[in-house]
Amino acid sequence: MAQLEKERKRKIRWQDLSLTAKVLIEVILMTVIMFTANVVMFVQVNRMAAGIGQVYESNVGLGELAAALDEVQNGTYNYLLVKTSDSLEKYYKSEEEFRSLLDRLNSRVMENPVMLLERNIRITAESYLTETEAAITHKRGRNVEKYRESFENAQKLYEYLNSYIYELNDQQFSDNSQSFLAVQSEIRSLAVISMVLLVIMMGVSILMLFFMVRGVVSPLSNLAVTAKYVGEGDFNIKMPQNDSLDEVGVMTRAFNTMVSSLEEYMNLTRENMEKEQRMKEKELLMEAHLKEAQLKYLQSQINPHFLFNSLNAGAQLAMLEDAEQTSIFVEKMADFFRYNVKKGSEDATLCEEIEAVENYIYILNVRFAGDIHFYKEIDESVMETRVPSMILQPVVENAVNHGIRNIDREGEIRLSVTREKEQGGCILISVKDNGKGISQETIDRIMEGRSPKKREDVSEGDSTGIGLYNVISRLELYFDRKDLLEIISDGEDKGTEVLIRIPDHR
Amino acid sequence: MPQKKPLRIELVLMSISVLIFGGFLVVVFFYFGKVYGQDSSEDAELNREYSYHYEMIVGSSNTALWEDVYEKAKEDAAAENALLTLRKADWNREYDKNDYVDMCIAAGADGIILEYNGEAGLAEKIDEAAEKGIPVVTIMNDPNKSARLSFVGVNDYQMGQAYGASVAELVNENTKDVLILSNREKELEKNQMYARIYNAIQEKVGEGSGISVKEQNLISKSQFDVEEAVRNIFQSTDGPPEILVCLDEVTTECAYQAMVDYNMVGEVSIIGYYASDVIMDAVDKGLIPVTISMNADQIAEYSIEALTEFTEIGRTNAYYTVDLLITNNRQGSNGTA
Repeated sequence: MAQLEKERKRKIRWQDLSLTAKVLIEVILMTVIMFTANVVMFVQVNRMAAGIGQVYESNVGLGELAAALDEVQNGTYNYLLVKTSDSLEKYYKSEEEFRSLLDRLNSRVMENPVMLLERNIRITAESYLTETEAAITHKRGRNVEKYRESFENAQKLYEYLNSYIYELNDQQFSDNSQSFLAVQSEIRSLAVISMVLLVIMMGVSILMLFFMVRGVVSPLSNLAVTAKYVGEGDFNIKMPQNDSLDEVGVMTRAFNTMVSSLEEYMNLTRENMEKEQRMKEKELLMEAHLKEAQLKYLQSQINPHFLFNSLNAGAQLAMLEDAEQTSIFVEKMADFFRYNVKKGSEDATLCEEIEAVENYIYILNVRFAGDIHFYKEIDESVMETRVPSMILQPVVENAVNHGIRNIDREGEIRLSVTREKEQGGCILISVKDNGKGISQETIDRIMEGRSPKKREDVSEGDSTGIGLYNVISRLELYFDRKDLLEIISDGEDKGTEVLIRIPDHR
Repeated sequence: MPQKKPLRIELVLMSISVLIFGGFLVVVFFYFGKVYGQDSSEDAELNREYSYHYEMIVGSSNTALWEDVYEKAKEDAAAENALLTLRKADWNREYDKNDYVDMCIAAGADGIILEYNGEAGLAEKIDEAAEKGIPVVTIMNDPNKSARLSFVGVNDYQMGQAYGASVAELVNENTKDVLILSNREKELEKNQMYARIYNAIQEKVGEGSGISVKEQNLISKSQFDVEEAVRNIFQSTDGPPEILVCLDEVTTECAYQAMVDYNMVGEVSIIGYYASDVIMDAVDKGLIPVTISMNADQIAEYSIEALTEFTEIGRTNAYYTVDLLITNNRQGSNGTA
């Protein structure tokens, strides 16, 4: 991974450059190309212009040379004619100028006609100047014959020189015309080439700009579309993967990360909300059941505190009158109802539950002259196990009201609390009677929580009013588990067993 | 992935533009390099520097011969590091040979090759040049009283012998007139040519045969006089001579053309001079029986040799004899010394 990263760092790819850098590189490239092309054209055109300049320069130079030659010839003639110092001075001046012009001419032997003519002019001019010098000298020495001869010679050479200059001018003009034509054709070709280059460069620049802008805009458009979908709640949609390091790549990856995070966050929130909702529902349900149980109990108990106090007062009175049996009865009754009221909204230990059942049975036995035979078999180790309150008493009440009441034989109720030995086992609470039994249909009805007879049961004066379904519901809510309560009956007159399984948290 | 594509296209476009630009530079520099390169290669040939400058001055009567001589001589001179230029005293020049010699002297030539035909004052000019240390090689004729360095050519005796032999061969019983058309100054009139031809005829037919041998000099006529003079000969009341001896190229071509124009093929036999294309064509067709010429290559070679030797060691041969080439329809060319 690190290797890869290193390699990537070493090799800078085009897509890794920032947009600014890309734009700069492209603009600089095109500008440099255009600039250089212009400079090249400029230099070439200048070169050609210089060529054209040379064309005229050479002709101008020859004109000067011819003029200087005339001056020398005139100077010589004037001196020979009037012999003034002024004309002599003019002669020397013009001679000097003529010589300086001659120095520019070629003196080497070359086949090039221009060069050869220049050489001829230069050497002939030297001969000519020798003759003019001689003429002047002889004139000063008044050697008439000699100066005439020299002047004649000079005149002849002057004609030759003019002839040469004319020929050279002609030759140069002819050469220069060719050069001029060549230069003209070059300029035309250069113009065409340059124009083609500029047009191509313009096209390429436009294309480059188009693709560059598209490279920036198209991810943005994609992003806008994707953002719209994400905004509508579709977190599955992502921007296409992009590993470039430029702004577009960075933005694309940031966007994708954002969408992923958003999705995770949304899922988490949804889960939490669902969980919370479930808990709330459970709480509400629990509360509703409790409320229902309490309401039903309260409906059957008018001012229980007043009743407990009254019962306590009764118990004390019975003690005073030595009626011990009555005193115990009244006390147990008081305890039973107190438990009922006190534990209505809390859970309780199994010990407390069993005690409540014993009190209830005692009360009933007093009422019904000891008709109910109650047996219990308790594993003392589970006494502190916590269970929802008021679960055993309603079961026992059911066994009394619907099991052993109105039977001809002696009614029996057996309560057993045992602990399964294996690890992770349950605490088994069994309430078994030898009463009328119960049909499977009724069992199903009870388990499903629908009871057409319920209303009648509740209206019976001696019920605590807490139905079996209520017990099942509260057990399930408390332990957050199903199938904690089971009703077993072998049929008519074969008794009923209600079996409660409580998770054992050893 | 889709974003990558446009980015790469940009790179491709950039590469394309760089390539096109490179192409532009290559084209521009290659094109102009070629143009200037051509210039410079031509210049290199033209701008070669030579140590010596020789001049060749010729007249207008042997155009093809002088062209051939000049081409060869120029090559030979270049091999000796000398430049040879040609000055032709023909119709479009305002100067004659004297002027040209003057000009060559004034221009400091290192040597002059001069066609000498006895022009007035030309021998003095040769002397003047010699005085100024400029060697002059004469060709065609030898101004033997002048201070010329060397003569390259055939002397009149040899030339007369060759022409005489050719004339003698053509002489028959019908021959009455033989006309020699020369192109020389009067100074050279009394030369061996006439005598040699005359003697040859005499030897062939014996004395008192009545064959008239005449010479007509065409020099000092103005530009187109040669042609007119030749036509006059053909139109004369006595009729043209049976044998017409031409001593230069232009005269030969004029005579040949006049003979064809006046339908006198077979009546007039022309002995020509030099082997120009026109003359050789006529010889091939049998219209001109024989033409005599000097070996142009030898003229060129010896002239340059003379000038080079003089320039290098200060002296050279006074005479260089070149071969004469006699060309006729039957036997092609053969040379006589």
